[in-house]
Amino acid sequence: MANHILIVGGGVGGTMLANQLVGKLYPEILRDQVRITLLSNSPDHYYKPAFMYVAFNQFFKEELKRPERSLLRPEIDFQVQEVTRFDFAGQTLHTRSGKRFGYDFLVIATGCVPAPERIEGLQQGGDHFYQYEPARQLAQRLARIEKGRIFITVSFPQTPNVPHQCGIAPVETTLMLDDYLRRRGVRDKVEIIYTYPTTAQLLRNCLFLQRPTGEILPGIFAQKNIQFQRGFTLGKVDPDQRIAYSEEGDAQPYDILMATPPIRAVDAVRESGASQAANQEGWLPTNHETLQVYGLDGVYVIGDTVDLPVSKAGGACHNQAPVIADNIAGEIRLGTTVAVYDGKVQAAAQMGLNAGMPLTYDYRHDVLPTPPTKLGGLLRNGFNRGLYWAVARGML
Amino acid sequence: MEVTDTLALQGENPGLEAFLNKLQPLLDGGRLDNLVDLASLLSDLVDLLDAAMVEKLSVQFEQATALSWNLGNAIRLAKAQTRQETTPPSLYGLLLLLREPQTRRGFALVLRVLNAIGHQD
Repeated sequence: MANHILIVGGGVGGTMLANQLVGKLYPEILRDQVRITLLSNSPDHYYKPAFMYVAFNQFFKEELKRPERSLLRPEIDFQVQEVTRFDFAGQTLHTRSGKRFGYDFLVIATGCVPAPERIEGLQQGGDHFYQYEPARQLAQRLARIEKGRIFITVSFPQTPNVPHQCGIAPVETTLMLDDYLRRRGVRDKVEIIYTYPTTAQLLRNCLFLQRPTGEILPGIFAQKNIQFQRGFTLGKVDPDQRIAYSEEGDAQPYDILMATPPIRAVDAVRESGASQAANQEGWLPTNHETLQVYGLDGVYVIGDTVDLPVSKAGGACHNQAPVIADNIAGEIRLGTTVAVYDGKVQAAAQMGLNAGMPLTYDYRHDVLPTPPTKLGGLLRNGFNRGLYWAVARGML
Repeated sequence: MEVTDTLALQGENPGLEAFLNKLQPLLDGGRLDNLVDLASLLSDLVDLLDAAMVEKLSVQFEQATALSWNLGNAIRLAKAQTRQETTPPSLYGLLLLLREPQTRRGFALVLRVLNAIGHQD
């Protein structure tokens, strides 16, 4: 009676977890007592953090993707399938091709989807860097602007205390934008305005979702002549007049609107019936320590689909994966979960085109910002260009 | 800095005094120079590291690890499968292994690797 572990999603969370599970459960795999299947709706794996570099013409598409099969241990049965329905009661998944997959353990690693259409006018009037094609469109605009206003907004999910994708990205891209425009020689004729919404998880009227980093931003922005505004919650966009309206009643003109858009879980997860999230966002109710989905047996969730307050980023998956691997192994071998996630997230933030700042935080501690350095930037560059793939394979 | 200033500084800072005492034997033996030069060399290496150099190093790393990971995985899996056979296959049994399409694919790969090696000679 083989235990079938099914992982849905071929992003960094699903990929690294599948590889770690093979390593952890190798004796059972050899005896055909465990088999592992990974389903992804794409044969390719994309290094998503590179999309923000695409917006500045710093990364080729060919360099940021690999075949998913090349990142997976051979013991994993990898199939390109789009999951259309989760039948938790029947422990079965339905796919677009009609094929069904039963499971004993399920890991939902389906990530999140940018949803700019959820703010009126944003899809037509705004730009973002969270997917390839939108980042390419933004790149063309940034390469051509000679004068005007670049207005930056950040939208959080409506579900309380859930972050947007990659918390530090709006700050990173603002600083990269400043460097980029200086390099182009047009910075003195282009205004950059960084704004933040009134509600950012547990904080109010701030410039960042954590206090220590939020407090150093005014100093950094002032040095670079970047304007900033608190309490701007993007409510509506007029794409023809190019005006961004806030829910607080403000109206700001823009030439380029660089907006971190609303996000949601994939349709199959939203329609699964397991979510308790607001606004049809679909985040799954997650045990913040074991990473099991509340109310379901043998179902775990990793990465962007959780409803936890930690970052929707690879740096979170990196620490969640070993916990889930240990817990699934614990359930199979001992009948109980054994590991606990402490909320840790780490990254090397790209603070400008060349400077980097390693950062780490967890459930109990905020990021303590340090001065960005050239070496930090090189570490980030090394990660982008090589170390990431070793991480995806479960090696690092 | 005047000697008196140095002495005053030491008096105020026991940590610094302990550090300087520790360094003294290196100074006396003429060995501190190497350490300072090493620090200077490291600094030079950091200066040499620009985005292009890091990209080259990272790609090398990725290629080396991907290859060794790939090979290691293949050998590990093959070992596991082979260990399970109580008696090794006969000659005919070996030929039967070629029935598997993935085995033939791997065989073609090996032949092409040999071809590429020949090219580079």
